[in-house]
Amino acid sequence: MTDSGPRATVSGRDEFPAAPSVRQRAMRLFLSDYFVLYLSLAYFLVLVPFLPTLSNPANLANILSNMWPLLVVAVGQTFVLTIAGIDLSQGSVVGFTSVIGAMLLATSASPDVLSNAPIWGLIIDEAGGPLANVPGGVLVAIVAMVAAGAMIGAANGLAIAHFRMPPFMVTLVTMIVISAFAIFLTQSENIRNLPESYIQLGKGDIVSVYFGEQAESRIPRRQIHSFITYPMLIAVSVAILAHVLLNSTVFGRQVFAIGTNRRAAEISGIPVRRVIVLVFTISAICATIGALLYSTRLEAGRPTLGDGNFLLDVIGATVIGGTSLFGGKGKIIWTVFGVFFFVLLSNTLNLMNLSSFHIDMVKGAVIVAAALLDVLRTRLIRGEAS
Amino acid sequence: MNGSARDRATAVLARHGTLLLFLLIIFVFGTQVPAFIGPENLGNIIKQASFIGIAAVGMVFVLLTAGIDLSVGSVMYLGPLIAGFAMRDYGVGVAGGLVVAVAAGAVMGSINAFLIVVLKVVPFIVTLSTLFFFRGFGAYLTSSRQFDFPEEIRTFGLSSVLGVPTPILFFAVVALGAHVVLSRTAFGRQVYAIGNDEAAAAKAGIRVGRVKAGVYVTCSSLAALAGFVLIAQIGRLDTGFGEGREFDVIAAAVLGGASLFGGVGTAFSAVIGATMIQAVKIGLVFTGINLYLQPMLQGLIIFAAVFLDSLRASRLEMLRRRFIRPR
Amino acid sequence: MTTLLSFQDLRKEYFGVPAVRDLTLDIRAGDVVGVIGENGAGKSTLMNMVGGVVQPTDGEMRWQGEPYRPRSPGDATARGIAFIHQELNLFTNLTIAENIFVDQFPSRFGMIDRPAMRQRTADLLQQLALDVSPDTDVDSLAPGERQLVEIAKALHRDAELIIFDEPTTSLTPRETARLFETIERLKADGKTILYISHILGDVKRLSDAIVVLRDGELVEQGAAADFDVPAMITAMIGRALGGLYPERTSEPRDDVLFSARGLTQPGILEDVSFDIRAGEILGLFGLMGSGRSEMARIVFGLDPLERGTLALQGRPLTGGVRQRIASGLAFVTEDRRAEGLLMDAAIADNLSLVAIEEFGRTPLAFLDKTRLARRTGQMQADMLIKAGDIRTQPARALSGGNQQKVVIGKWLMRHPALFILDEPTRGVDVGAKFEIYALADRLAAAGSGVLFISSELEELTGMCDRIMVMNRGEVMGGFDRAAFSDRDILAMAFGKRVPADEVAA
Repeated sequence: MTDSGPRATVSGRDEFPAAPSVRQRAMRLFLSDYFVLYLSLAYFLVLVPFLPTLSNPANLANILSNMWPLLVVAVGQTFVLTIAGIDLSQGSVVGFTSVIGAMLLATSASPDVLSNAPIWGLIIDEAGGPLANVPGGVLVAIVAMVAAGAMIGAANGLAIAHFRMPPFMVTLVTMIVISAFAIFLTQSENIRNLPESYIQLGKGDIVSVYFGEQAESRIPRRQIHSFITYPMLIAVSVAILAHVLLNSTVFGRQVFAIGTNRRAAEISGIPVRRVIVLVFTISAICATIGALLYSTRLEAGRPTLGDGNFLLDVIGATVIGGTSLFGGKGKIIWTVFGVFFFVLLSNTLNLMNLSSFHIDMVKGAVIVAAALLDVLRTRLIRGEAS
Repeated sequence: MNGSARDRATAVLARHGTLLLFLLIIFVFGTQVPAFIGPENLGNIIKQASFIGIAAVGMVFVLLTAGIDLSVGSVMYLGPLIAGFAMRDYGVGVAGGLVVAVAAGAVMGSINAFLIVVLKVVPFIVTLSTLFFFRGFGAYLTSSRQFDFPEEIRTFGLSSVLGVPTPILFFAVVALGAHVVLSRTAFGRQVYAIGNDEAAAAKAGIRVGRVKAGVYVTCSSLAALAGFVLIAQIGRLDTGFGEGREFDVIAAAVLGGASLFGGVGTAFSAVIGATMIQAVKIGLVFTGINLYLQPMLQGLIIFAAVFLDSLRASRLEMLRRRFIRPR
Repeated sequence: MTTLLSFQDLRKEYFGVPAVRDLTLDIRAGDVVGVIGENGAGKSTLMNMVGGVVQPTDGEMRWQGEPYRPRSPGDATARGIAFIHQELNLFTNLTIAENIFVDQFPSRFGMIDRPAMRQRTADLLQQLALDVSPDTDVDSLAPGERQLVEIAKALHRDAELIIFDEPTTSLTPRETARLFETIERLKADGKTILYISHILGDVKRLSDAIVVLRDGELVEQGAAADFDVPAMITAMIGRALGGLYPERTSEPRDDVLFSARGLTQPGILEDVSFDIRAGEILGLFGLMGSGRSEMARIVFGLDPLERGTLALQGRPLTGGVRQRIASGLAFVTEDRRAEGLLMDAAIADNLSLVAIEEFGRTPLAFLDKTRLARRTGQMQADMLIKAGDIRTQPARALSGGNQQKVVIGKWLMRHPALFILDEPTRGVDVGAKFEIYALADRLAAAGSGVLFISSELEELTGMCDRIMVMNRGEVMGGFDRAAFSDRDILAMAFGKRVPADEVAA
């Protein structure tokens, strides 16, 4: 995160004369890919004196761990926004697939909680789900989750690409239907008792940092802070994969082409419908991986896992990063920074002891500000080009 | 080739799809549960539809300009809340409260309008943000606690005039008023013109910004009124009140025949759509389907309505194709 | 008679390229003035300046003797100038009356005064002999009736000057006749009319005076009585044509590359058949609304075709756009901005768009970026595209000519067998035009077929091996290079199947 030489990596803007004025430097900074990262770091540095806990290792580890699941989901949304779509159904996919995974893997379940659910006796009972204690069961369950997610995404894509229905309404309906179905499956209960190997995916450390004995007698006695975790590995892999997909493959070029000018892309022989279906499928698969991370961290499958403000967080983080709602403009690295900024923002607001509603207010304002910045940036780039 | 027969079927479906869907729903529930089509139940459906319905009337204005307003759920909460404070702390009474609620809604609508018209941010993002902003502000005012209204409000909420319950009365007045505005005033007709072709509207000398601002103010005012009318029946306001309702409201308007692509729809679209959604809800209760499954069926009905809307849009596009020789 | 509108050294440049050059002209009140010229002669630019759509670079306009500088269409309307565009500016979801009053509804107590509006509209419609109710939705009107609604709008605003831009394009003959009656009536009421059309017979019949523009300059003007159609054509085409076109470097081969048989789509095409040989440039000429672009879209698979067959290199051409591209078809659209280019994307991305799948390395289709950069770089050099760094510079930043080269280049990356060029030199300056012509010749020399669609006859006679003429969705006939005659071709485009002398009469 603390890349030391960002100035050197500002690329593609070499049309400026050799000795840029202060204004041009500011412009260059503003238009750079790393603008949101600089902004986040500046924000961090400004607030540290006032919120000493902000720079605690415990808090930094916390910020990072909050970042990973959101990043995975936002990466999926980046693809969708880049083709000028929107996916409101990601949250419901998170809830639904977390239930699928949990009901297959739970090692036991309480009839007090779940006996009213339609899956009781059919898929899950006191002895848990069908894949409980089955070797390789975790993998099978994950495949099942991804398949379920992919199917939902493909259905979204088909309706949007083939019937030219607006993405907003299609994914809205999917959101309503899928979250209702998830809630129906468990009758709004959580499924607990997940196997340890599954939970490791969301909580396991690979490298942690030991900061010595604690002075005060608190639990835990030692300060151990996760540094490299499974969620980090998963999220970073997803991000890198997505980056490669968007930047280094034929598919990525087709995504940008459709987002820039769908009509011209069609006439140039881009398989527009296929790409749209794939993009919405990717979005739902990302949501599924997000579900994996969220639900293992929670140690439960919860149908309402992606309800409420989740959508705002995902779209907000993506848009703040710089991905345009009008399509044709999106980068995974922008989304990484956007997510970082968003998580940092939530974290600092929490540390200020603000209520969740205040946090929502600030987030709302920040998203509008980000959209305004985008309007401004577009205007600047246009002005520069002509 | 049976192209023309298929064309005609599509045309009928596209034009009268909503009505057919509505009749089908009534028919299905009516045969399942005869009590469903009893006059008492039908009255009940309309009464319960009035909440979403009043807000959906406002949403029709926005949709007509091809815009969208996601903030209505929060406006439904914050508008009545501010009215509640006015009633409790300043004793403005129920009538005063009503005025305050609508005025507060208008202010919130102006905020949306300012961001959309002056700063030119897309309606989707603006109203997504204000959705959280307005609710957050309300939570700040109440410290996230339930707010109890003075008792007098329930007397008003549960009253009726000549046997007509107050909510239905409000619903009717709003729908008729909106119908008159949309069909009989310059503002209303210009709303349609903008939805048909915004660039042409600007060229024709219509003050597009002003009309669009008016649309968002109207939508928020009616959302606040809708909230107030429902709160009047309950007497208290939870912090979660109205959450997620924006989707019900949009769905009702679209279901009734308002197009997301702008230019199509009437005040009665909202009436039909909201009534339909409520009929389905109550019908599902009658048939005893699992509570949690109900939103699924509602979702599928909305999907059908949106599908019909897209069909209609693509037909319109076909009709716009220029012919260069007589057919 | 008094002068209503005058231009003094009026000039308009787009990106430094003059579209109207130092034009000086007086329009007398009460005249019907026909404005003719080829595409790109500056007619639209001139009218757009009058209508306040664009502002002059230099020079002056005077309206009723006063300096006239409209900043917007609204300014023009306020002075009494009505502009009836080819694309009508009506709201299809409103009634006729509402369309006429849409910017200023008469109101009583805040409500629209419907009786007053209806009455006024009925009067206007009666003046125009349009026998429909003012409450009819515009949606349900025929194109000709819609045009009359636009005219009613102009009358309602007491327009002194009414500009018609290609008004008969989408009208049936009967509707056209009615429009002409209306124009006669407007003239009798003392209105001044500027009438722009490619249909020279109509211009001659309607006008009192005729103005001929060429390359942004006023080349001839005079009383309509002094012009006949051949004279008008001569004036439009003008100067000798030497040096404007490259020498053709090859002859068409004998084998038929592409054939279309009996293409029919109701309302658009009627029984269109033709062949293109390998190495042949077939010109397709027609006036606005003749169906030339529509046919191109149908051949490319963008629009539906009810009857008829297409074959390329002996194989039937079916399916959607992708399949036809794979069969060897390429299509340079007439609307470069909306359909040809990704304006905001880099030039290299535009160049690689059509052939992008060839740069994928299986199985995951990773881009071979080295080869991609090499090929796009080669293409830039090959096509002489004048640009900076093609990997970062957006297509938007290029001149029209260079943009068009990018479009042609992106197709060339796939080595297509048949090129459809729809108005390839539109909005392109003279120098770049020559390069595009040379490209067309190169394509043909390499054995490709070229269907060269244009409304500029001059470039077709300059470049093509054969010219086919369309009118109202039908092929009227064709000419071999040896038999090219501007007059005959134009006459055929006006709908005559017989030689041109008939038109002159």
